[in-house]
Amino acid sequence: MRRPKKYESGEATQYISRRAALRKLQLSLNDFRRLCILKGVYPREPKHRRRAQKGSSEIKVLYHTKDIRFLLHESIVWTLRDYKIFAKKSNRDRAIKDFRNLKRRLALFPEIKLDHIVKERYPTFIDALKDLDDCLTLLFLFSTFPSLHLIPREQSNLCRRLTIEFLHYVIASKSLRKVFISIKGYYFQAEIKGQKVTWIVPHYYPFKPQSRQEVDFKVMSIFVEFYTIMLGFTNFRLFHGLNLAYPPQFPSSVLQDSEESLKDEASFVSDRIAALNFELLRTDKVQEDEEELDIDMELLEQDGDSKRIIKMKQEAQEVSRLRTLFKGLKFFINREVPREPLVILIRSFGGKVSWDSSIFAGSTYDEGDETITHQIVDRPSISTQYISRDYIQPQWVFDCVNQRQLLPTNKYFIGETLPPHLSPFVDSKRDSYIPPEEKALLDPSLIETHVQSDDDSEDEAQEEEETVDQELLDAQLQLAYQQETAEYKKFGGPDGVNEDEEDPEDDDDNEDDDEEEEELDEKTKRLQEEKQKMSVQSGKVHKVNKRQVHKAEVDEHRLQARMVKPRHRNLFRKLIREKQSKEKEEWLLRKKRRTIEASEKEARKTAKREARKEAAAAAAKASKLGK
Amino acid sequence: MSKQFLEDQRQEERVGTFADKQDEDLFVVDTSLQNTKATVLSVKQKRKMNAKKPMRSHQALENTSKVQDPIAKRNHVRQKKNGRNIELEVCNPTKPRHRQANSDRAQYYVKLEQRLADKKNKKLAVEKDIWQEVDFRDEIPGLKDEKGWISRDLALHTAGNIGKKVVKTHASLHHKTTKAKKFELPHPGMSYNPAPEDHQALIEQVVEREEGIIKKEQHLKRVTTSMFSKVTLEERDRRRLKRNEPSGGQKAEELARQTELKRKLKQQTADLIRIKSIRHELDDEEEDLNDLKKRRKQRAEKAKFEPKRLGRHKFEEPDLDLNLPEDIAGNLRNVKTESSLLKDRFHTLQRNNMLPTTKLVSRKKSKVKRFERNSHKEPGVSYNDLKERRRAAAAAAKAAANIKI
Repeated sequence: MRRPKKYESGEATQYISRRAALRKLQLSLNDFRRLCILKGVYPREPKHRRRAQKGSSEIKVLYHTKDIRFLLHESIVWTLRDYKIFAKKSNRDRAIKDFRNLKRRLALFPEIKLDHIVKERYPTFIDALKDLDDCLTLLFLFSTFPSLHLIPREQSNLCRRLTIEFLHYVIASKSLRKVFISIKGYYFQAEIKGQKVTWIVPHYYPFKPQSRQEVDFKVMSIFVEFYTIMLGFTNFRLFHGLNLAYPPQFPSSVLQDSEESLKDEASFVSDRIAALNFELLRTDKVQEDEEELDIDMELLEQDGDSKRIIKMKQEAQEVSRLRTLFKGLKFFINREVPREPLVILIRSFGGKVSWDSSIFAGSTYDEGDETITHQIVDRPSISTQYISRDYIQPQWVFDCVNQRQLLPTNKYFIGETLPPHLSPFVDSKRDSYIPPEEKALLDPSLIETHVQSDDDSEDEAQEEEETVDQELLDAQLQLAYQQETAEYKKFGGPDGVNEDEEDPEDDDDNEDDDEEEEELDEKTKRLQEEKQKMSVQSGKVHKVNKRQVHKAEVDEHRLQARMVKPRHRNLFRKLIREKQSKEKEEWLLRKKRRTIEASEKEARKTAKREARKEAAAAAAKASKLGK
Repeated sequence: MSKQFLEDQRQEERVGTFADKQDEDLFVVDTSLQNTKATVLSVKQKRKMNAKKPMRSHQALENTSKVQDPIAKRNHVRQKKNGRNIELEVCNPTKPRHRQANSDRAQYYVKLEQRLADKKNKKLAVEKDIWQEVDFRDEIPGLKDEKGWISRDLALHTAGNIGKKVVKTHASLHHKTTKAKKFELPHPGMSYNPAPEDHQALIEQVVEREEGIIKKEQHLKRVTTSMFSKVTLEERDRRRLKRNEPSGGQKAEELARQTELKRKLKQQTADLIRIKSIRHELDDEEEDLNDLKKRRKQRAEKAKFEPKRLGRHKFEEPDLDLNLPEDIAGNLRNVKTESSLLKDRFHTLQRNNMLPTTKLVSRKKSKVKRFERNSHKEPGVSYNDLKERRRAAAAAAKAAANIKI
């Protein structure tokens, strides 16, 4: 038997250094880099570097040997080699000034075909959608670039075209869900075919040159090259899914790169926005069918008890409301407001939007239109105001979308200090402790009750604590009633109410009873007659035996624990422990807050009492003096 | 009388005076078109015109003699042309290879025209649905028939021998190499108008990270720079000499060995007595080992979320973006943007193990000292003098600009 040599098997053969890979593929380093990015082959970190590098311990860039062997079969390797030939031939033509041949040759430049690679990297359409985040962010960024050394004008133009097409799809399908203004840029989140796609649109500012020290432009440009192809295919499929004509046709005035628009960056940008304010051509004449969603939800109705299904239903309800959020509203954007994100938002939720036609192209109506409902302004004051419309700051639109309802505009009026802009990516329905301030921000109905209860307590500070407690209880009841009605509206029926929320229901019954008693005086006779006729007995308040409920819960939990498979037991325990600790934490925080508030209240009360005492003493003194 | 006069007179006698002549004899009516201007030929046009003329060098060979050729009928010897007559092959192809070439050429031009048309119409190559389910039998003619003569298996077999082989993608190519999120969602404190608590939380994160960096730096300083004290050279030599001084000698060494042996023996006898405590020690050791194992496991778990070491340079987490409290304007008009999105994207690619971390190495130009030839030297001014003068002027201009600001 041959004696095995060192580094002929195992990790040493699994990895191949970049230099060796270059030699194997017969490509230059630049071509190799490009090939790797296009094919999605990335360097690897070995477990034992010294073994993988055949004894050398300096840190090299390593690839899997299998990956490189896979690249050997790639057809674009030949295209990359063709480039070399092309360069030689065209250089020769140029040198002997054979421009006829050169022109012909340039027209037949060996372009890389990437469609099979896109298909290979994303075997299904959903895979492509999952990987759209990075792609969109990069393309939105590149669409704002001027022509740079390593980024040709065609590339940024192509990026602009594809991103506009994508935005048009988002608008037409109304799939936008969340939006967030951060200091980095505008975050958008859309839900496409059940996938959450998030991307960043940069704040519009004049282009700032980036130093080569920090970013490798060449590499980024190659990524963009692949992503443009990928987004192109995605757009095509998305458009066809909606029965929209692809490529979309825009009016001849926009997106034509004239000399003027290429020189002036402002007009270049305004062209882009103008292209967003047009309805797209449909291949069929049917309008959207919004009934589809309802049917889906009705199928789920059969076992409508479980929490998850209720949650899903609620979500679906909210989404359907969100899709027509701005329907029937007409917006006018003042010129100091960044228009692009606002146009996307307003258009995708059914609103109409326009701007000053004298400055930017693409406006549909002017400021004097009396049917305008909202004017978006971002300056402290404005000279001419119309009574028929609300003057609001841009944040209103963003907050409305995130809360999925039209918020009262009074907090967002011109010149007002804005409420904080919260991130929609933090789950507002999370299990952990949410401070009441945040809750109030999320649900404006809570604010008023909160304020009211405060006022009451201050007014009736003279009374005993019991009365205060009573007041609080009343406020809570009212709140519960509000919640109840809100829930009722949401589900369109009492059957959707969760089993956990039985207590408010009881309170509701109580209130109903009270009302009945009041009405009794007016219609006593008739009612009594009716009572005699019908054998309906007076209703009893359903009392919940808390102990029993608790016992049932515990029993259920035990049963659940017993049903867990032995191999999942640890996981189950871990989940339970996490839940318990979370609950405890929440309880602790709430308790802390309660004690703090109580002590504050006490302090306030004593201060008031003392003040009153002093006032009484002073009055007594004065009266004495008077006597 | 001058000579001139006589000359004139003689001419008049010969030809006649102006008065004798008729108008028609003197003038001609211009019948050419009025507007034609004398065209000025460009250099290029002239060159083209000249190219049409016979070559000057061939002029000598031309037969300009008026004497007729004595041989009435000359045999013209036609020289056989070298190589192929391409024109002939294109016009009337005789061989199969000519026809092949013709069809190839036609295809080439079809492709060229298609390309040019696409470019003109701005058509993209992406206008097709690549995710559509396709029957492989559609692509190869002859594999699909309505009568059911060709079964699917047969079609598969034939396609395997005719069609293009599919290269199987290696599964590990699509494996995720990091557990970290591919697209990070923003911290709520990064809002342009954040809630105070969120903003405070973000600031705390930044401070924590900064403190970690400072701590690490201090540690490094402590274990390197400040471990050694600075001494003068004499002091260093003195210390070295002192260290190398011979100690007590052989006798002392022997003594030391003896004491060491004694100590060991004593220890061994003592160990017999303290078996119980030794057991405890062993238990402790085991516990320590278990702890170590646990920590290693934790570290491995943590490493799954961290970027891998792909190249020479280690990936360093970029700073978090943060608006300081005084920078928060509260409205969209005065937002102060903090980060460069391009840089952010680049770092994300590196964090997701898609790019090795690199640093741009700029090659420094080697400094060349220039000398001027003596023959080119101006008296009194050297090349270096000029350079220094230029530098001084630039510095002065800069200083002036600074003062203005």
